[in-house]
Amino acid sequence: MSQGLRTVALSKSYGHVSALRGVSLAVSPGELVVVLGPSGSGKSTLFRCITRLTEPDGGEVYVGDRAVHGLEGPALAEVRREIGVVFQQFNLVRRRTALENVLAGRLGSAPLWRVAAGRFSRADLARAAAALRSVGLERQAHQRADTLSGGQQQRVAIARALAQESRVLLADEPVASLDPDSATAVLELMRGLTRSAGLAVLCTLHQPHLAERFADRVLRMEEGRLLGDAGRRPAASQAVERAL
Amino acid sequence: MSVPQTSALDSIAMRPRPLLARLRFAALLLAGAALYAVSLNVADVSPARLLEGLPRLAGWAAKAWPPDFSEISVLTYRAAETMAMATVGVSFGAVIALPLCLLGARNTAPSFWLYHPARFLLDMLRGIDSFVFALIFVAAVGLGPFAGVLGIALHSAGSIAKLWAEAIETAEPGPLEAAAMTGASRLKVVLYALLPDVLPAFTSILLYMWEFNIRASTVLGIVGAGGIGQELKNSIDLLQFDRVLAILLIILAMVTTIDKLSAWLRRRLS
Repeated sequence: MSQGLRTVALSKSYGHVSALRGVSLAVSPGELVVVLGPSGSGKSTLFRCITRLTEPDGGEVYVGDRAVHGLEGPALAEVRREIGVVFQQFNLVRRRTALENVLAGRLGSAPLWRVAAGRFSRADLARAAAALRSVGLERQAHQRADTLSGGQQQRVAIARALAQESRVLLADEPVASLDPDSATAVLELMRGLTRSAGLAVLCTLHQPHLAERFADRVLRMEEGRLLGDAGRRPAASQAVERAL
Repeated sequence: MSVPQTSALDSIAMRPRPLLARLRFAALLLAGAALYAVSLNVADVSPARLLEGLPRLAGWAAKAWPPDFSEISVLTYRAAETMAMATVGVSFGAVIALPLCLLGARNTAPSFWLYHPARFLLDMLRGIDSFVFALIFVAAVGLGPFAGVLGIALHSAGSIAKLWAEAIETAEPGPLEAAAMTGASRLKVVLYALLPDVLPAFTSILLYMWEFNIRASTVLGIVGAGGIGQELKNSIDLLQFDRVLAILLIILAMVTTIDKLSAWLRRRLS
């Protein structure tokens, strides 16, 4: 597979506790794959090992044809531009506005002086404005992040990932800190963007009903292992199995 | 329903402390008392000599009243010099502290090999008082406030960097990780995602250091490094106690005003 996201035998242990035991998966562009599992099943470790926020013990990660594993420093930063992320706790810069937080998606490509001066190019501003519009928050553009509701903050975080123009979107329990209505709205938004932007989306969840409702495919995770594909689109999962 | 809980708590409270714990506590208390006794002796504390000296002090106090404000313009100029020294010194210190605090905070240090030298440097700067630095700089650049500025700059660079590094280390890691995942370099992450969040803490620390250094630098004149301390030393040497009192009152007014101002500004920040 030359598009989307792929992991091969990703593993990680903490001391003698295995958090990930050889996880292999693949997500195609335009596909929303949910990793479903209880807390402690290794979902977050999977997320952190794919992004290299935590160093895996072994295994491979590819975004398109590019390897993420084994890279360091600027090369790692370069390939991370292809991976948009959404966290459970939103992780916005609280004292910056919604728009400034979305502009953070351009940090990878903007020159240092523009970042230091906070003066982004017209093209970047246009991208950020479009991203905010697509999550329905253009009216909150100049509001400080810490004054927004949880659901709004998560939409800003999604807009940040959109402004980054990555091919892959990773979301770690994106709705675990939200009320049911906001959770549904955020997942609906993510599914819409999967289709419209052709993103390869990997999302971890712990609620089966949300996974059933929004996922193209559900991968169940338990004790650091994927239990097999409980997919609703047999064709896609067969394609993945061939790829693996 | 609270009866069983209460009785359970009682039984915990009533249990006597083990003998060994009590013995250890007694030994610790004894060791502390012994150390204190030795310190009293080494420090040469003698109430008798204080009593002997009291009449002399009273005599000086009597001579100090009324305070001599005849040279008020010179004294206010010197007070202003002290404030200027502290302000410029702390600002130079902050410029030195900025890179040092980023290298000396665990979560922003680019590597172990820079973290430890940075910590060592800032501990050294902090460990040597501005007074001692000023003493050296008076010899190097001559008498006057510039030596004081350099002394304050070096010492406060260490203190500011340490406090700033602590503020950085308490910053949330999440927003920094999110910024790093956009492909931003370490420096961009610091500039865009870290500094806005620590800015209030940084400013508050800076104000506190400014206020502290105005208080502390009143003595720098004693080693010839400018400011109102110079006048204080001259007057004490000449036994002009009315002038000493005037200077002390000016220092008190200046320090109180700055304390209040700084406290007000810091309250507004939080």
